[in-house]
Amino acid sequence: MTKNKQNAGKGRNGAGIGSMAALLFLSAAMLTGCAGNPEYTEADSGEVSIPVILIVDSSTGIRNEEELINTFNETYEGTWQADVEWIMETEEEYRQNLKRQNVTDTLPAVITDLRMLPAFYDMMIQDERIEDLTPLIYGDEEWKAMIEPSVLESCSEEDGKIYLGPISTAAFSCSGIFWNEELFAQAGIWRFPETWEEFWDCCEKLKSHGVTPLALHTEGTAWAPMLLATAEAASTAEGEEFMKQLYPETYQNETGVRIAETLKRLFSYTTEDALYSDFDVSYENFFSGKAAMIPNGYWMMDQIPEGWQEKTRFAPFPENRLISSPETFGWAIVSSYSHEVKEGAAALFKLRTRLDMEKREALFAREGEALIPAERDYIQAYKNNPKLVPNYQVKWNSILQEETLAEALPELIAGKISPEEFTEMEDESIRRFLEEQ
Amino acid sequence: MIKHKKRSGIQKRYLKYTIALLGLALLLSSLGVVLSVKRRLTQAVVDQYEFTTEKMGLALENLCRKSDEATAECILYEDVQKSLQSQGLEEVNHIALSKYFAYIGLEYVADYCYADNKGNVYSRSYSNVTYEDIEKSGFREYLGLEYAKTQWFWTKDTLFGTGRDALFIGRYVRSMDYAHEPGMLFFKMDKALFEEIADQGREKNLKAAVGILDERGQFCFFSSPDETFAEAVSRGTAPRDPSFSQRDFQEEEIHQEITEKIAGTEGAGLFLAGEPVKGGVLSAWREADSGLVVFSFVPARVLNQELIPVFFVLGGIYLLVIGAAVILSIYFSKRFTKPIQEIKEAMTEFDGTNFERTIELHTNTELDEIGRSYNEMVSNIKQLLQEIKDQERELRTAELNMLISQINPHFLYNTLDTIYMLARINREETTMRMIQALSRYLRLSLSKGSEIVTVEDELENVKSYMEIQQIRNVDLFSYEIDCQVDASRTRVLKLILQPLVENAVKYGFQDIFEGGQIRISVREEDQVLYLTVYNNGTPIEAEMEKKINEMNGMAVSRLKTCFPDKKHGYGVVNIITRLRLKYGDQAGLFFKAEEEGTSCTIRIPGGERAEDDEE
Repeated sequence: MTKNKQNAGKGRNGAGIGSMAALLFLSAAMLTGCAGNPEYTEADSGEVSIPVILIVDSSTGIRNEEELINTFNETYEGTWQADVEWIMETEEEYRQNLKRQNVTDTLPAVITDLRMLPAFYDMMIQDERIEDLTPLIYGDEEWKAMIEPSVLESCSEEDGKIYLGPISTAAFSCSGIFWNEELFAQAGIWRFPETWEEFWDCCEKLKSHGVTPLALHTEGTAWAPMLLATAEAASTAEGEEFMKQLYPETYQNETGVRIAETLKRLFSYTTEDALYSDFDVSYENFFSGKAAMIPNGYWMMDQIPEGWQEKTRFAPFPENRLISSPETFGWAIVSSYSHEVKEGAAALFKLRTRLDMEKREALFAREGEALIPAERDYIQAYKNNPKLVPNYQVKWNSILQEETLAEALPELIAGKISPEEFTEMEDESIRRFLEEQ
Repeated sequence: MIKHKKRSGIQKRYLKYTIALLGLALLLSSLGVVLSVKRRLTQAVVDQYEFTTEKMGLALENLCRKSDEATAECILYEDVQKSLQSQGLEEVNHIALSKYFAYIGLEYVADYCYADNKGNVYSRSYSNVTYEDIEKSGFREYLGLEYAKTQWFWTKDTLFGTGRDALFIGRYVRSMDYAHEPGMLFFKMDKALFEEIADQGREKNLKAAVGILDERGQFCFFSSPDETFAEAVSRGTAPRDPSFSQRDFQEEEIHQEITEKIAGTEGAGLFLAGEPVKGGVLSAWREADSGLVVFSFVPARVLNQELIPVFFVLGGIYLLVIGAAVILSIYFSKRFTKPIQEIKEAMTEFDGTNFERTIELHTNTELDEIGRSYNEMVSNIKQLLQEIKDQERELRTAELNMLISQINPHFLYNTLDTIYMLARINREETTMRMIQALSRYLRLSLSKGSEIVTVEDELENVKSYMEIQQIRNVDLFSYEIDCQVDASRTRVLKLILQPLVENAVKYGFQDIFEGGQIRISVREEDQVLYLTVYNNGTPIEAEMEKKINEMNGMAVSRLKTCFPDKKHGYGVVNIITRLRLKYGDQAGLFFKAEEEGTSCTIRIPGGERAEDDEE
């Protein structure tokens, strides 16, 4: 999941659609909180209320998907009303709250970020807690025509059923590296490294010029360092294949060790507060000029603060790689709601799909001054035939992501355990996961 | 005079209609007031119990919410979640978890048990509930198909072994991360929970029955002012226990009424607000999640009890109003009917002889006018009666005189003939002329009883009179007569000119001894006959002229009073009276002082033909 912090963005031109995708992502990733059992009722007017919980970015105050919600409520006024509870929480908190709400049967009708919790997602399918969207999508030609084949494929299960709303475009689901052009210039670097060797040199050079190269963290599935480590691992044929595996059987192999070593090496170029912190700390470090690079997805375009847009650049990972899994947005409809509510929720998904498509077309149609440098970089990278690496969050088991990484990574960085031992801990998570499964 | 003790007809009717009207007004107003007051009072009582029901409902909702939160807390508890995972809990944690449920902050828990998905049961240390007991209890069915919602159900305690009905709270406990089989959590709630809810409804010593039903309409709790019945209902023995009175049985019917009424309803919150049911009014509040229903039932007798004092007060007020209305009606009717009664008595008791009784009214109404008119009428009657008496007396005198006069003329004429013969023998010319004139005069005056004569006869009569006067008063006057009508066919009252000539000689020529002149003219103008006697003597005094002329406008009855001394004016009064009686008010006698002398004119409407028809 990628998303850590996405809100932000103050309106820059065309922020609309762009921010939507970002917000969406965010919401999908972070919902946590929830708190309480909001009571959802139908409006007296006969308008069907669609309960939704979305998060508000704690640093920018921006509400995720606000434009989508406003458009939906205006479009379907009198029929459906998205009744949104806006909660100021991190994505991780949102995800944990999803679990709590599920066991207390207080889930809203629309949930996001579900794909970031692989085991939970599987359970929701097994317990028939989320709606099978297949008949809805294949029964609606207009909607289906808006969905990119790659997105539809990524959202489909092995049996062909679709539980996650294919509400995004692949163009907005790619992650790379945001870099600070000014800090790079201080070190005499004028372009982003194109190979991993250049990348490590770049880090050294930055460090030698007193610039902290990377903004990293260990909590929240260690999103930022894991993006870099998995992208680097995919630079080998073995690693590339490894990243495509769903629920790898073991991490005690060359790729697993390589990832552990890379992680350890990456943390030698980061800030002191990286340990035991979440993505929000990394975000603050990057946009305060304390670090020169931060890995994240397109959705962070809208969160670039005022004054940072000209010097913030985007680049694919070395060797022209982007990490992408469109299904990570993880929007799903909770089955326990009435037919009317679920129908309204599906309409919300369809609207989200259309808005994202329009936004992509609008973005790609813009040129020159209408784009900030990072957007220009992103479009160029997306069009430059990048190699796409699957997002580890949709492939690896939950215990590894939610417990093991946060526990083992600091020990690895501190040298308390070796990379091999790190992979042993990863395999232990596999064992536990299989046991629970 | 009879004293009428009974009320007058008018007063009776007045009172009758007043009382009828008042009765109708009171009846309608009492109907309106009673209906309105009953509705308002009933509504006020119903509102009061609605409020009570709502309070109980909110208390119930609060307890349900707390129990929902408490069970949610249990589900999220780390050890509970661990118990659902493959490895389960270690023995030490098993014991700790068993105790954990006793300290979750949920009040009124009588007992509890939690069964994980591996057949382990966590309950009180002294409890011997096994997983098999849970399966046998059938409590799993109460959890139904819900994923993890809290369930509240009232059933026989087959889990903890007491066998008594109790409220249970149950919930599936599911793993947060993995698709494991769910565990089950059950809490048995103490009856004190219901007592606390019901206390919200009993705090004001209200007289309604309050109770709680579960989702299926079973009575979980019932509290009635009639404690015996309430206990019976709670034991479920009310309808079968022979010791119950008839009233209890009726209340059992009410119990069924409540159950049926609530069973067919839906919706959360106050879904029955003052709903009339057999025997009273029902308010009910449903808790959305648990489906539990709290209700208050206000028996009709309680509602009526509130109304009785009001009706007493109303009745008292109406009695006072009726009493005051009757008294005032009698008083005011008397004020109006008393003068009427007085008038009525005066009229009915008037016997035609007593003219002294008059009516004195001071009511400032039309009745005063009636009284005055009555008095005037009596006065007029009195006067008319007197006139009639006088006229009768005069009539008798006249009749007597007439009889006498009918005897004398023969003797008088014979005597006059004898005197005439003697005068002729003695060659007394003057005497002979005078006797001839007197004879002609008397012939008209005394003979011929008819009042109406021809103008010719009347002129002949007055001529004879003037000749007599000329013999008596030599050279005093001369006369001439100018008749412009057909004297032989025109008729007038007899002896109307002679008095005028007599007055002319008597008063007109009183100051002369010769040279006097009398002119008599008869003419007709515009169907009116005028007979005028003019003398050239002393003109009539203006005062006398005015007085006589005014007599023409006076009532005939009053004419006689114009000359009370009876020494003067007899002739004038006689002429005017007879003219008016004969020819009506248009006839008259008018004097006019001329430059030399006086003219006196008789006016007779109808002219020459005035008496033709009579002829």
